[in-house]
Parts: sequence; structure tokens; C-alpha cells
Amino acid sequence: MIIAMAKVRVMGPRDRLAAVLSAIQDLGVLHLASPAAGDVRPAARDTRQERERRQIRRILDDLDWDLAQLAPAGGNRASAEGAPACVRWARTARRVRRTLERIRAETAAIEEEKALILKYRAFFDAFRSLLEAEQRWPRTTAYHVLLRPGDHDALPRLRQALATLLAGAFELYDRPLPSGETAVLVVVPADGSASLERLFQEARVEEIPVPAAYGGGSLAKAIPEMIARLGDIPREVDALRREREGLARTERPELERARAFLNDRLAQLDALSLSGVTTHAFVVEGWLPADSESGFARRLRAACGADVVVSVEGREEWSSAEAPVVLSNPRLFRPFELVLKMMPLPVYGSLDPTPFVAIFFPAFFGLMVGDVGYGLVLGAVALVLRWRSRPDTTWRSVSEIAGACALFAVLAGVLFGEVFGDLGARWLGLHPILFRREDAILPFLILSVSIGAVHIVLGLVMGAVSSRHDPRKALGRGLTAAMLVGIIVALLAVVEVLPHAFLTPAVIALLVAFPVLILAEGVTAPIELLSALGNILSYARIMALGVASVMLAVVANQMVGAMGSVAVGVIFALLFHVVNFALALFSPTIQSLRLHYVEFFGKFYSSGGVRYAPFGRWTDGAGRRAT
Amino acid sequence: MSIIWIVLGAAVAIAVPAVATAWAQSRIGSAIAASMAEKPELATTAILMIAIPETMVILGFVVALVILLKAGGTG
Repeated sequence: MIIAMAKVRVMGPRDRLAAVLSAIQDLGVLHLASPAAGDVRPAARDTRQERERRQIRRILDDLDWDLAQLAPAGGNRASAEGAPACVRWARTARRVRRTLERIRAETAAIEEEKALILKYRAFFDAFRSLLEAEQRWPRTTAYHVLLRPGDHDALPRLRQALATLLAGAFELYDRPLPSGETAVLVVVPADGSASLERLFQEARVEEIPVPAAYGGGSLAKAIPEMIARLGDIPREVDALRREREGLARTERPELERARAFLNDRLAQLDALSLSGVTTHAFVVEGWLPADSESGFARRLRAACGADVVVSVEGREEWSSAEAPVVLSNPRLFRPFELVLKMMPLPVYGSLDPTPFVAIFFPAFFGLMVGDVGYGLVLGAVALVLRWRSRPDTTWRSVSEIAGACALFAVLAGVLFGEVFGDLGARWLGLHPILFRREDAILPFLILSVSIGAVHIVLGLVMGAVSSRHDPRKALGRGLTAAMLVGIIVALLAVVEVLPHAFLTPAVIALLVAFPVLILAEGVTAPIELLSALGNILSYARIMALGVASVMLAVVANQMVGAMGSVAVGVIFALLFHVVNFALALFSPTIQSLRLHYVEFFGKFYSSGGVRYAPFGRWTDGAGRRAT
Repeated sequence: MSIIWIVLGAAVAIAVPAVATAWAQSRIGSAIAASMAEKPELATTAILMIAIPETMVILGFVVALVILLKAGGTG
């Protein structure tokens, strides 16, 4: 449900504004709103405050960057000195950022150097003896090239071109490298080097350059130095890692404290622009949960004295669109608020569909998966996810939703008598309580569409309730729901599921309701009605996915006997079940979401609510705060 | 009616919407992927947009079933 909010107005002497804002921030329950215009004008920030705000933003930019780079450390606590030193924090944040940037750049350079050396090592290993001998050959020039992998004709072509160019006065050695490239060493007389270089250039053959750090001379001399360097690299990387850890240990606590303080100060400066002032007084307005209004007023008076007045604005003075929204649901339903978080919030005063989502979402999922085996595997996945996630996080909610979906999948599996497809029937003698989905396609279709009808009619009823302040709209939604029920009753009477006596009253009711619906909703009402009928048919996807799921499972089981070898068949069957399980996680989730977002929410959901964001002390994403 | 026409009718009833759905999803998919590159918060809209054309193939599946059932059961 969406909890009731109260709008309060805090007034007092203008010179007390900063102190009162600080006290409101300590209480952390008031969602600030700009005061209504009139004699009150916004309390604009002065030049000094604007400058301070810009400085804080710059420091926070450095702080956020530093803290994202530094691992959490359980080291020194922040110094608990009284007055915060913004200038010192700015310097520290900047210094830490520069150090971290240097560490990052040096680490990247070392890693790059290591990758280069490892590439050369393959070449060196291939031509170790030749490279050592290369230095002893008088009046020759050596060229080292790599031929790209895959071009098998490149080497014969190179050999042919060299033979033509140098009339056989050359030596060529080649070795395949683990990377797939071919290392080639060409030794030519010194007077033939110019024409050879021209040939390489024309043929776009890339010669291995000697890195500048190794003198830029002969590769034969550089490679041993580079190999020796490999031994130093781990030590240097380790030194950089220890420097970073040391920084985290010594600086992080202070940086966290600075971040908390500066974010608080920034929020205070931002709150100033949401406050109103007159010549002698200030006005702060905002929203808070209605049940915490009296406690807020009492505690604010205790903190600020009797010259600060808190009053509650009447419900007639504000509109629903202004009020922030707080969802509050029982523990069992709360994880399903995640489904709503993926949508814009419902507007204040409308209905929170979370309890209905908590029932229908796992029910749809269960009907589509409908297998005890898959349900149990999903339950195990949900348990692991729950064990690995922290409370009040998205992953914890996902694990709890997955648990509910697993439960419904197991229940539906019992109804359909399925354990990994038809294994339940074949091995355990399991009989369906309702029907076998692979045979009873039509009953499954009727079940799916019936559930759809219930869901859509429920959505329309909720639409009528949430439009209670707009009687025409409420009447239209209610009549559409009633007409859908009438159409269903008439159809059931025609096919003799209901007694035939129901047909005439149902048709008369429809004929009476139709013109009233057009009067209430306009000429588009028949289209809306047809659209609602189409929405009900859309629930056939529950049957479609359910049948596809069981058919894939049955096909997987049949692989055991179809592959010749039992072992190969079992492996294929397991692989197929894994694929089917992955599909069973993905498709039913998407389709259940779609049935809610499009078909169900479309009947009543009014988005556009403002998220309740009380003005309070800063905490990190996990609700922690440095002290 | 010849069994071949019944089976062919059912096949066309699901094949045409399937091709139409695939075409629609390919267009929507590329458009929404481009949008999400700039606005990752459009993920929910993306799910909805991708799932919306699937109604066509599901209704095609239902029509195919009805054709087969009316013609004497699926066996």
C-alpha cells in the first residue's frame, strides 16, 4: 500500500533558518518541497554559499573517485577533530587522486611491457641460437619479421621474392609460434639491406621493432635484457599493490568522513533553495509519513525552541500529484516491490498493486514452468542467491521472488504430474491432479484464458477504485468490468457450462450497459472493451509457454533411448534439460512481467509518483555512514 | 476436408504471425538497443517493447490449435 503522507510547514525567525535546517536534517524524515508562492520568496544562496557549493562538488568528485579506487580497509579510524577542515580534505583528496592515477598508469605500463616481452620471448625461444650467432656474422644485416596466422602462402612468396631480389644471397629461418604467427629471421649481406627494406615496405611485411626502452639497437642484444626484466616485473607490481593498500589503510577512513560531511553540507545548501523567506521569517515545507508528524513536531520544538512553529496543512491544500510516495507492504509481499521499481512509481492516492503482483506473478511463472524438478532446482538457486546476498538489496529481493516462483512451479508440477517432463509419470508413477499439459492443450488454454479474465476484471475493478475521485472514469472502468463478466457469462451459457437460463439476463444486461458505457467513456469505449477482450486472450501465452516447456522436457527424456548409446543419450538429455531450465527462467519471467505491465497495470496504474527522499544525513548505498 | 489442407492451414496460421513477430522484434530490438545505449534506464520499456509483438505469434498458435482441434483433434 501507499502510506498516507502529511504536509507540514515549519516557520520561525529568519536568522534561525540554518539551525532549523540542520535540526530537520538530523531528524531525517522531511521530504522538502518549495513553499507556495505569495509573500514568501525563495531563500537564495549568497555568493559565498554558491562558491562553497561549487568547491564541495569539486572535492566530492575527487573523493568519490578516490574511494571507488581504494578497497575498504579496516585500518585507522578517522581523526575525530571537531571543526572539519575542507581545505585539508580538498588537498588530501587531490593528492590521493594523483597518487592513485600514477599507480594506475604505472601498473598499466608494466602490464603492457610484460605483454610485449612475452611476445618477444616466443621469438627469442624460436631463434635463440641464431640470434646469438647473428652478432658474430660479419658484414650482414638481420631482419626479424612476424607473418600473420592463416596466410600459408606468405612464406613461399617471401622466399621467392628474396631469391629474385638478392640472387640467392640470403639466409631465411622460420618457426611457427604458439600464437599461430610465423617468426622469420632473414640475414642478408649489408649491401642488400636497402633493397630488402624496400621489398618489405612494398609487401607490407611488418618488421619487429626494438622498444626504445631497450636501446633501440639490435634485437639480439635487446631480447636477453627484456627476458631478464621479466623477473623484476612481479616485484614492481607487488610494490604498487602494497602502495595502494597502504593508501587505503591510512587515507580511506578520513576520506569517508570527509565525504559524509561534505555531502551533508551540500544537502544543506541545496535545502536553502527549497526554503522560503520573508523580511523577518522563514518557511520550510515538506512531506512526511502521517504517523510520524506528531513526533517530528515534538522533536523539532525540543531541538529549536518554542519560536519555531510546526503546522500541518489540510488535505484540501495540496494535490496528490505533489506528494511523494512511500510503499509499505507486509514482509511477504515486500520483495515484489522490485517489480514496481522497474516502472515509474504510482502516483500518490492511487493503488499499490504489490500484493496482487506477489500472488499473480509467481502463479503465472509456476503455471508456465509447471514442473516439480525444475521448481526444486530453481528453489536451490534461490537459496544460494539468498545466502550470497545482503539484506535489503536487489539481489535479496530477486532471491525471494525466485523462491516464491519455485514454490508455485513445484505446486503446478504436482497439479500437472510433471517431474522433469514425463519422468514423474514414468519413474515415480505420478498422476496429474488437474491434467497432463502435453495432452490437454485445450483445457490448459481454457485455464489460462480464465485466469486472464479474472486478472483483467480485477485490474478494471482496481481502476474503478483508484478513479473514485473522477466518477465518470470510475463508472466507465466499473461498467467495462461488468460487461466483461456479462460476456463471459453469456459465452459460458452458450457452450452450456452455465445453465442456459443465464444467457438472456446476461445479454439484456450487456445491451443496457453498452450505451451507459459510451455515455461515461465516450465513443472510444467499445474499442477499450475490445482491447480488454484482446488482453484476456493474451493470457494464452501461459498455455503456449507451458506446453513448449513440457514438450522440450519430454524430448530431452526421449534422447536417452534415441542416441544408440545410453551414456551419450543421458548427456544429451541433461544438456537439453539445462537449456530448457535456462529458457524456463527467462521466458516465463519476461512474459509474466509483460502480462502485469501491459495487460494488468494498463487497467488502473497511474504512474508519475515522486519518490520519497527525506532531507537527512548522508549514508552510502548500504546505509552506512563514516563517523 | 483433406488432412493436407488442415495441416497447411494450421501451419500458415502460426508461420505468418511468427515471421511478422520476428520482423517486428528485429526492428524494435535494434531501436531499443540504440536507445538503451544512451538511456540504460529504458530496460523495463525494452522488455515490454520486445514482448509486445509476441502476442501475434501466440494468437497464431491458438488459431492453429483451433484449426487442428476443429478438424478432429490433435491426436
